[in-house]
Amino acid sequence: MHTVWFFCAISSIIGIFFILIFLLYDAVPAFLDIGLIPFLTGERWDPTSIIPKYGLVPLIVGTLLVTIGAMVFAVPFGIACAIFIAELASPRMRNILKPAVELLAGIPSVVYGFFGLVILVKFLQDVLAVPSGESVLAGSILLGIMSLPTIISVSEDAISSVPRYLKEGSLALGATHWQTISKVIVPAALSGITAAVILGIGRAVGETMAVIMVTGNAAIIPDPIWNILSPVRTLTGTLGIEMGEVAVGSLHYHALFGVAVVLLLITLLINLAALTVMKRLKSSQTGGCSRKGMFSCRMITDRLSGITPHLPLGLTALLGLFLLFIGLWQGAIGILILYLTARLIDRYCIRQTVQKIWFSLVTIMMGIVTLILIFILYDIFSNGLPYVTLDFLTESPRNLGRGGGIFPAIIGTFYLVIGSILIALPLGIGAAIYLVEYTKENVLTRFIRTATDLLNGTPSIVFGLFGFTFLVLFLGFGISLLAGMITLALMVLPTVIRTTEEALKSVPDSLREGSYALGATRWQTVRRVVLPPSVPGIITGAILSIGRAAGETAPIMFTAVVFMQRRLPDSFLDPVMALPYHLFILATNVPGARNNQYATAVVLLVLVIMIYGGAIVIRNHYDKKVRW
Amino acid sequence: MNEEIIIDVQGLNLWYGHNQALHNVTLPVANRKVTALIGPSGCGKSTLIRCFNRMNDLVSGCRVTGNILYHGQNIYGPEADPVELRRKIGMVFHKPNPFPKSIYENIAYGPRVHGIKNKRELDGIVESCLHKAALWEEVKDRMHDSAMSLSGGQQQRLCIARTLAVNPEIILMDEPCSALDPIATSKIEDLIEELKKEYCVIIVTHSMSQASRVSDYTAFMYLGDLIEFGETRQIFENPHKELTENYITGRFG
Repeated sequence: MHTVWFFCAISSIIGIFFILIFLLYDAVPAFLDIGLIPFLTGERWDPTSIIPKYGLVPLIVGTLLVTIGAMVFAVPFGIACAIFIAELASPRMRNILKPAVELLAGIPSVVYGFFGLVILVKFLQDVLAVPSGESVLAGSILLGIMSLPTIISVSEDAISSVPRYLKEGSLALGATHWQTISKVIVPAALSGITAAVILGIGRAVGETMAVIMVTGNAAIIPDPIWNILSPVRTLTGTLGIEMGEVAVGSLHYHALFGVAVVLLLITLLINLAALTVMKRLKSSQTGGCSRKGMFSCRMITDRLSGITPHLPLGLTALLGLFLLFIGLWQGAIGILILYLTARLIDRYCIRQTVQKIWFSLVTIMMGIVTLILIFILYDIFSNGLPYVTLDFLTESPRNLGRGGGIFPAIIGTFYLVIGSILIALPLGIGAAIYLVEYTKENVLTRFIRTATDLLNGTPSIVFGLFGFTFLVLFLGFGISLLAGMITLALMVLPTVIRTTEEALKSVPDSLREGSYALGATRWQTVRRVVLPPSVPGIITGAILSIGRAAGETAPIMFTAVVFMQRRLPDSFLDPVMALPYHLFILATNVPGARNNQYATAVVLLVLVIMIYGGAIVIRNHYDKKVRW
Repeated sequence: MNEEIIIDVQGLNLWYGHNQALHNVTLPVANRKVTALIGPSGCGKSTLIRCFNRMNDLVSGCRVTGNILYHGQNIYGPEADPVELRRKIGMVFHKPNPFPKSIYENIAYGPRVHGIKNKRELDGIVESCLHKAALWEEVKDRMHDSAMSLSGGQQQRLCIARTLAVNPEIILMDEPCSALDPIATSKIEDLIEELKKEYCVIIVTHSMSQASRVSDYTAFMYLGDLIEFGETRQIFENPHKELTENYITGRFG
């Protein structure tokens, strides 16, 4: 058995290894031809002109601007919501808000993008009276909303896992609840919150579909650079747009793989940073610390506690300097005024009043986020639900999807999801069993875990490119169901491994020892003692993966799907239609299909929400039942 | 008792959800004395001590009836502010819980949240509290090291020093030695002896010998009822109730 599990376990290493190799293999010709330095520092990206230009600077600037904008919105709101859910909400409210946040994390990015395209962009256009609302601002707002669930749930975890005795210790000294939150709880959760922000950044950098739909996709450096109404194009957007139209083997094709490599490296760095911070957090919480000296966790926590009082001032100064640097002095003055107001309140109001002011602020921010999300859901359901009829669900599309239904897309999504889960589930469970049951912690397991985490943070569009070059071209599958299944399986593999691992780890060692003490073998113990109570956890992981696979567009865009396929696939090597891709094309390429766009969005949304809701219900049910 | 009564518990009932944890408890607490609460596990002694600074407010589904008078004011009355109350009634927990900050910052935390900003004043408070908690000699050269680097006993004395820094009148101690070895325990007990000259101390303890060593008055609790209260010597040498005698002599517990 050992070998079987071992091969499952190294599947994720092989996955990340293959991705790197194949992307590099296709990117190297571009690096050689264009030259690495001109490629990275060129100021124009214009691959279709007579003299093609391949310079990454506008794309990197675009990605940076959109990401920074998203974080300016998402970080304060995310942390405020996390504080509200963890500290201010009543237990009943928390029981509603926490699963709601998890559900939001599951909404497919193409649905957000669709909302951004039809509502947000139009709204900006009307309010700001500009010719087009497709801009940095639209991208920032949308990506901010999309990375909120990640930031909220990870920071909320960090805040709630601050030991209760610290909170009690502070309250027992007569500190107010707000003083306890701001001076003890948040500083103690700081590394978790940092990790949350980094993960949110990773999410924003790697997002493709929504960005394509709202940023205008002009590969220009905004002039002046803080002109948030200028359109931009991101690294991911470039891949999403140009990959479908490029001639295989051309310089342009290789340059796109160069873009993918750069994107992959950026996200790898971001994820490594998040992982490091989280590891610190774990070791400093358990008190165990292997390293001594400068970088030991004790020194780090000392440092952290040393800097936390200065953190607000520092952040304000940084933000202000940044705004000054890019020439936006009005912004800098605004920040300064905000900061001074906060300081004055802290200084001259009695602390009970300070608490009231901050609590209302946090509550208002939570309210705004809730309203935004309710508005998104309401808009999509109210416009789409009337058109979701039985015919719509059972007919083929007509007239480029303006008429008819989405039956082939539903079937295609169904096939893709089932196929990918059938591949990912055995591999993932096997890998988790190997990691938890069959080895001790060593270099190899650390390697496997890191590879899994990195795979988890890889942008979905990168999976798409990898599937295209490896499965579609190299293995000769063509644009096919099979290629899509394998690509999606690779994408959800980390989720399956992680959730299964968590489930297996939560079975206490005393049960294993009890079984061994009766003379059972390792496999007998795993099968009869460890696996049965882990089943709910494993099912949860499987369902989450299904939800993710059902909603993703970028990985299947170049590997499995076509638009307007009348007939259903006959074999694994046929292309299919899929719901998210259908919605994407309808929304971006087919004018006059508004009703069917909304209806498709509703079907996709209901599907994904049902899947995620199922996972949450199962988990909560067993959480209550199983107590060791 | 002809002492000054600082806290007077009158007919206190407490429920966790539908589960009644305290039944009609009545108990006077004398100023500048040590009052020990003893009894078997689950008897409600920790619940009772957490009523004195309204720490039970944090437990969801916790409900209280009856009065606790502190200087004649009901701390569960409509005008009472638990935040101000906790400033006058400090608490030391059963497991040392220093903040993940430096030793200095741990003690300065309390005065700071109450609005003291002057560095010299803070320095003075930190030093005098460390002296009172008998920790000064051990930590004076490493005030800015993490409090987590101290031993368990030192951490507990740091927590006591931290409590003293907000200048309370009463110090509640919830099994302060349960996580400590015998040597650290005896240091804490010596400290309690010192503290009662200036403060009123209420201590919950599992150890009957500790109660008999450090306390002036002892209350014996059982299943949420206060069975017997009196001078420690009387409780241990000549208990009036049979239940108390059985517990003291180790027939159950």
